[in-house]
Order: sequence, then C-alpha cells, then structure tokens
Amino acid sequence: MSGFQSASRSSEGTLLEVTDLCTHFRTERGLVRAVDGVTFSIERGKALGIVGESGSGKTVLSRAIMGLLPKRGTVQSGSVRFAGQEILGLSARQMRHLWGREMSMIFQDPMSSLNPLMKVGRQITEPLKIHLDMPRDDARQTAERLLKDVRIPEAARRLNQYPHELSGGMRQRVMIAIALACGPTLLFADEPTTALDVTVQAQILDLIGEQRRDRNMSVILVTHDLGVVAGHTDEIAVMYAGRLVEKASTRELFANMKMPYTKSLLRSIPKIDEPSHTRLMTIPGRPPDLVNPPKGCRFAPRCAYARDRCHVEDPPLVAAEQPDHVYACWYPVGSPEFEERDAEILTQSVSIGATVGVET
Amino acid sequence: MTDLLAAPSVVPEAAVTVDDGRTRRRLPLGLWFGIAWLVVATFHAYMASRLPWVRGENQRVEGAGRYRIGPSADFWFGSDKLGKDVFARCVYGAKLSITLASVSIVVGLVLGGSLGMIAGYFKGWVDRALAIVIDSLLAFPALVVAALLIGRFDVLQASDIQVAGFGFEWLTRRWSIAIVFSLLSIAPVARIVRAQTLSLSEREYVLAARSLGARTPRILFREILPNLVPAMVSVLFTGIALLLAAEGALAFLGYSIKAPDASWGLMINEARVDIDQYWWATIMPAAMLFMTVLAFNLIGDWVAKRFDIREAAI
Amino acid sequence: MRYVLQRLFQFLIVFVIVTFVVMVFTRIGSRDPVRDLAGGAVGEAQIEEVRQDYPYLDKPLVQQYVYWLGDFVTGDLGRSYLQSQEGIDMFKQRLPATLFIAFWAIVIGLLLAVPIGVYSAYRRDGPFDRIASVSSFGVISMPPVVVGVALLYLVVVRFGYFPTVGASNYVAPWDSPIGHFKNFFVPALTLGLGLGSVWSRFLRADMNLTLQSDFIMLAKAKGVSPGRVLWVHALRASVLSLVTSVALQTSALIGGAVISETFFGPKGIGERLVFAIQGNDILIIQAITAVLVVGVVIANLLVDLLYAVIDPRIRHMRQLG
Repeated sequence: MSGFQSASRSSEGTLLEVTDLCTHFRTERGLVRAVDGVTFSIERGKALGIVGESGSGKTVLSRAIMGLLPKRGTVQSGSVRFAGQEILGLSARQMRHLWGREMSMIFQDPMSSLNPLMKVGRQITEPLKIHLDMPRDDARQTAERLLKDVRIPEAARRLNQYPHELSGGMRQRVMIAIALACGPTLLFADEPTTALDVTVQAQILDLIGEQRRDRNMSVILVTHDLGVVAGHTDEIAVMYAGRLVEKASTRELFANMKMPYTKSLLRSIPKIDEPSHTRLMTIPGRPPDLVNPPKGCRFAPRCAYARDRCHVEDPPLVAAEQPDHVYACWYPVGSPEFEERDAEILTQSVSIGATVGVET
Repeated sequence: MTDLLAAPSVVPEAAVTVDDGRTRRRLPLGLWFGIAWLVVATFHAYMASRLPWVRGENQRVEGAGRYRIGPSADFWFGSDKLGKDVFARCVYGAKLSITLASVSIVVGLVLGGSLGMIAGYFKGWVDRALAIVIDSLLAFPALVVAALLIGRFDVLQASDIQVAGFGFEWLTRRWSIAIVFSLLSIAPVARIVRAQTLSLSEREYVLAARSLGARTPRILFREILPNLVPAMVSVLFTGIALLLAAEGALAFLGYSIKAPDASWGLMINEARVDIDQYWWATIMPAAMLFMTVLAFNLIGDWVAKRFDIREAAI
Repeated sequence: MRYVLQRLFQFLIVFVIVTFVVMVFTRIGSRDPVRDLAGGAVGEAQIEEVRQDYPYLDKPLVQQYVYWLGDFVTGDLGRSYLQSQEGIDMFKQRLPATLFIAFWAIVIGLLLAVPIGVYSAYRRDGPFDRIASVSSFGVISMPPVVVGVALLYLVVVRFGYFPTVGASNYVAPWDSPIGHFKNFFVPALTLGLGLGSVWSRFLRADMNLTLQSDFIMLAKAKGVSPGRVLWVHALRASVLSLVTSVALQTSALIGGAVISETFFGPKGIGERLVFAIQGNDILIIQAITAVLVVGVVIANLLVDLLYAVIDPRIRHMRQLG
C-alpha cells in the first residue's frame, strides 16, 4: 500500500473527499439510516468541525469514513476518497495499513480508551513498531519525544506508568501522542474534550491545533458543542438526523448562519456577556427515528420556525451568498418568514423554563 | 477481522444488530429440553408405584438375572445382574436422588441465604467474621469430608451412643447424605447471596427506604430478599445438579445409599465391572444421571443469564 | 507487603477451623479414639502401646487438637498403625502422584480453555462458538465418575495403550517420561476436561465483554493486527473470571483427584485417604486433610497475588490500602 504514502504526502490539495455517503444498519426494527447522504471534502492541513446532537450520526460518520464499523448488518454506499484513492468498502486487512499510519482517531473517554493493563510507553511504541518497523530503542526515544510534544511533563517517567496513574488531561494527551506517532495526514477527534474538565478542554484543543499546523495535518473535529469548534476549525458542518444541513467556513457560519437549527444550537450555549441568570433556550423534543424519518425536513417537528411546506417537502442543499456556504432550509435565517416568527418567540422566551440545551 | 469489534457503542441505541433471523424474545431450545426432561423425570419418579410400565424397585424377574435381557420392548433398559428391571430402578433412583438433592439444597438456601444476606447487608466486622466462616466451609475438600462424615454417621448409628436421651438408629444413609449435602450447600449459596446482597444494598431504592426510616428487618425482607429470588432460583437448580453428581461420586467411593435400594450412582458402580459385555446396566443409569444434571444445569444457567446474575452463571 | 500478611493471617484462622472440625468429625461415634487408631480389633497389648505413644487421645477435644496441631507444625505428621507407616513416609511415597494428577489436570484444562475461549469470542455466535458452548455445557454436566467411565470405555479399552482400571502406577517423569505419560494422562484428562470446559466458558464470557471495550477499538484504529489485539490486548484483560475459578475449583479438583486415583490407580494421597476413612485411621485422616486444606489455601493465596500481577490497578490499590 505504499501508493498511499506517496500520494498523501503531497502537502497540498484535497485530502479527503466524501461523496453521498450512506451508512445504514440492519436491525430488528428495520433499516437505521444513521448517515444518509453526506458530502464534503477537506484539504490538507485544514480543520473541519462536524457538529450535531447525539443521534445525529456524527460519530457513525467518522467511524464510517475510517472504516471501523462492523461489516455485519451494515450497508454502505457512496464514495470516500482518501488521497485520491477509494477506500470505502476496503477490507480491514487493507485498511490496517492506513489506520494509525495515514489516518488516526482519538476517542472521547481517555480512561476507557487506553489499555488499562499496558504501560503508556508501550502503547505509544506499538504503532511505531508495527507501521514504521522501528527498533525498540528508537521507538522509545520517539515515544518520549512525542510525550514532550504533547506537553506532558517528566516524559521519560511517564513512559513506564499506567493510564490510571495519569490525570484525565494527561491521558488525553497520551491518546493524541499515540494518534500522532506515525505522522498521519488526517486526524479524527471524536468528542476529544467532552470527558475533560473545562479548564483542560481549551489546552487540549490548542494542542490539537498546534500539532495540526506543525505537521500540516488535516483534522476532523466531531462534537456536539459549537463552542469547541468555534475557535479551532476552518470550516464547520452541521449534522442532523444523518444529514448535513449546513456547511460553511467558520467565520461565515457564525456571522451568517442560515439554518434555524444552527441558530438554536448557538442560542443554547451560555455566553459570558449575557446578563446572569438569563435562561438558556432549549430545543424541545428529541432527534427523529432514523428508521422512519419524518417526511419533509427532518428537523421540522422540532423547529419553532417551521411552516406547512417544511413538513411536506424536504429542502435541498443550496448555496448562500457566499459560494462555500450551503444549507438546507425553506425559510432560513434572514428570510421574512423567519424574522416574523423570531419576533414572536423572543418575547416568549423570558417566561419559558429552560434546562441545558443540547444533549451531550 | 472486521467483526472483531462489534462496536455497539457506535451504532445508535435504537439499533440492535441481529441478522441471523432470531429475535431476542424466543426462549432457547436448551431451556425447553430441560423443562421437558424434568417434567417427565419427576412425573415418573413420584408416580412410580402407580405407573403400570414401571416394575417394582426390587422385583426380580424370572430368567432375567445375570443381565440376560438387553434393552427391549419389555425391559426398556434391560435387566441387571439380579434380574431386576434397570428402567424401574432408574425411576426409583430418580426419586431418591432428586428428593435428596432438592431437600438438601433448600436447607442450604435457607441457611446459606441467611448467612449471605446478613454478611452482605451489614458489612463491616459482621461480614468479615462471616466471610471467614464461609471461606472455611469452602476450604473443606467437599467429597472427602462428606465421605468421612457419612462413615462416622454409620458408626454412630450402629453404636448405642445417646445424646440427651436420643439415640441414633434413625441415622440411615439417606439421612446422613441429606445432612451432609445440606451442610456442604451452605457455603456456595452464602457466597453468591452475599455478592448479590452487596450490590443490591447500594441500589437507590434501598437507600431511599433507609432514609424514610424503615427498619432493618423490613428492608431485608421487603427490598432485598425479593430481589435475591432470581439468584436463589438459579442456585437451586444448579445446586441440585451438583448434588446429583456428588451422589454419583459418593456411590463410587461406597458412601451412598446401600443396596438393595436404587440410586443412579449405586447402579453405575455395581455394573461397572461388567461394562464391556453388558453395557446397559451401567450406561443407562449414567445417561439418566447425565441428562438430569444437564436439565437442571440448563434451567439454572438460563435463570442466571436472564436475570443477569453473573456469579451464578456456568 | 502488608496485604500478603493480612491474607496469611486470615488463612491461618481458616486452617485452624477446618482442621479442628475435621478432627471432631473423626471422633464422632467413636467410643475410644485409641482403639480406632490401633485398628479396631487388636490385642490389649497393642492398644496399650498406642496409648503410650499418643496419651492425649483421652483428653478433652480442644486439648487433643492443640497437641495435634503442635505435632503438625513441628513436622510430625502422625502415624498409621493400620499400615504400619509413619505419616511423613506415606506422604513422601504418595504425595507426588496426587500433585502430578492435579498439575496435569490444570495444564490440560488451560490448554483446552484458552484457545477455545479466545476463538469462541473472536468468532462470536459462529459455528465454532455454538458447538464449543454446547459441548462444554455437556461436559460440565458429566460428573467425574461418568467422564471416567466414558474415557475408560472409549480410550483405555479401545486402544489398549494405557493401563486399565486400577493398574496405573506412579512413575516419575524423570525416571521415564513415557511411563509417566502413560500412567497419568487418562486420570489427568478426566479432570482436565471438566476444568477446561468451565474455564473456557468463563474466558469466552469475559472476552466478549472486553472486545466491546473502547481500548480494543483504539488498538484496532492504531492498525494493530487482529491476532495481536486478541492475544496481547484482549486476553490479559479477560482472565479475571478464569483465575478466580482456578481458586474456587481447587476443592473440587481434590475431590476429582480422589476419584481419579481410586478409579484409575496411581497411588496418591487421595486413595490413601479413602482407605483411611474406611478404617478410621484418625491421624492419617487429619494429616491428609490438613495438607489438602493447606493446598487449597495456598492456591487461593496464589490466585489473589496473581490478580495483582495481571492488573496494575489492583496492585496500586493494595499498595495504598
């Protein structure tokens, strides 16, 4: 598979192209359409944020692209091209050359994601030995250097420790070190900060960003938290019920969001400049059943701005004023219908009870 | 390799990947077999004297001695050395074995269950003290001690020793075995019940009951005991299976019930020497023993899995 | 290692309790322990001799126990008048056989359990898994006697290679490896099959659980081969139930060894014990059960320590506590 290496080592251009990816699971109740036609691409060295509630399909998406889903009961269609080569549908044996080498993933809970019975150092040197055939001493030195790269103090000592001897933040750094060991060109970060203290979250995100720049590595950051992607991505894609409902460059998204859903996500984050005790706005209801999604726009049943057309016709992805900005809505933010409804809602929001908005 | 990781945590909660056509709700085949077998076995065992196709336990049939008759229409399991009907003796053996095992395990459940519940609920030094008792009981090499006790009970019965005015003539092998089996059941039961109680007593409804001022006996009986029932049922069945097997082992050493009574273990051992020529007298009771142990195991294991009692599952 | 001392102390208490109770059992129904020890129907002169050798047998039970315990810990393992043999000599003669049966039974059990358990979990619900599951369940439901009989019929009689019932003798492996194998294989196999079945089920269950863990997913996502994931990452995390079972099975293993010895013949302490029980050879009974209990206790302790070796988290907790 050395063809992959030379192709992806080019330092520019499109690294990953996902076209109309569908991932369906066969279950007792029927076909679960976890990912239902997602299209996007990412260039070398850029960061993409994929945002959505739980049940939106964002985690399935990242696993599907990497090829980590079990084959049994899974139906996939569409195309995933990595460094110009089609990888959707490849066998695990073929994909193993990529995993840890060209594309890596870090997971949500570092405590359960690291092998509790294996020393940290060994977990880092493992991919080095497997993919790069490094002899033991070189691997150890590289591991130590990696730990220093991720800002873990006393790196040499840490190599001989077990995961439970480290703090949550350090464990996540170790996971990052493992992921970066062989110098991948694409990193998937699946809710990397959710299990961490707030103070540590920013450090980890900064670390990921720093490594991205240093290594010219692409990063796909999957999260439910718009705040996480706000400062650390070039582009953001919003997912709902298995579909991409809005995608734009980060700046453009925050300046000019079109989807009411995205707007609601934004509104449910507490902001420091709002007066204290301002109630958070929630999005009532739950994500739809992925076996039998509702007709029309999938968000319509929960959308405060929905009108008749939304319940009947599925809005297509269309471009906004900026060409890179796409969204799928009949009555987006800024349209007259939206403004009308918005005014009604804001006056009511003061008296609506609220809890924390977005589900974790 | 692709399915090395079932990765259900990735698949959305609504999805349960089942593609072999079976739904979860159907009961497993093994369970049906177990229940069927037990129904048939206990029916025969306890209705034996009234069933026309079951001869008397010690009824010798003319011309059937020395294994002359193999499995046939008249003698389903053939005849044994003394001319008795192997099938009939198997049935009576069933009655004896199952009764002995059941009674013993119930006593064990009551005593061991109480011990385990107290240890698991009160924790602290009570638990530690009881844990040592349970550990001691578990450390006994069970078969050995059983043989020893039964041997001593034999001597006791034959002697004219009296304790507080009571003699020991009643202490036949049946009683000896029942007592010994009961004693040996206590510790394993206690261990499982203790583990269950430990986890149960941390549950919220127990804490809720306590905070409402409920007193300990009430909590024990109303909150904990009902939730111990699945574990105890599982141990009941699995324990009977174990005791049935133990009876077989005891018979091998010569400490089970004595001839002319019938028990599976005894029959297996009596006919063992002639196995190469007259296999049915050994194989049939062995098969009965195996099937019955299997049936009890299947049920006990199913209960443990159904109610998620890991310590009791085989 | 404070933890080890704590456990040792607990085990000491257990040892005392068990050996005391066994002693009491041997005295049940006995009018005169001295007479029993002498062998029942022997002349008065001999009984007097026994009484001289063991004067404490007339005293109250607790005192008898203390004397016996004193003897035991100083290495005096009693004497059998029935067989005219010192306890120690009997052990030297017979203990190896029993130890070998137990040892090989455990080895066979593990050799069966590990591959079967791992592969069953790897190809979960596949044909191998189902067959293995049914078979192991079936074997577990067969008491050792039945397994012994079955093996006797199928293997010993058929092949004629192994010694038949009661004919096995103790042959040390260093004297004759083949002879050793011939005499010990079938007895050990009788027990090993049962052990292997139980252990393979435990291993399979734990493995299934482990294979769903996040860290296995991460190992896979690192590009680790399935073989390595199974044997290096997953196995070590899945041996807990199996190791626990080894400790719990020691008692059953002893019972099984007794049966195996009596059935097939290699003369170990199990067979001697059965004989002793028949004749109420009290000192021998006490000595052998004491040794057996020590064995159980050591096995439990080893398993306890093994937990710490396997799982560094347990190691840490114990160092702290």
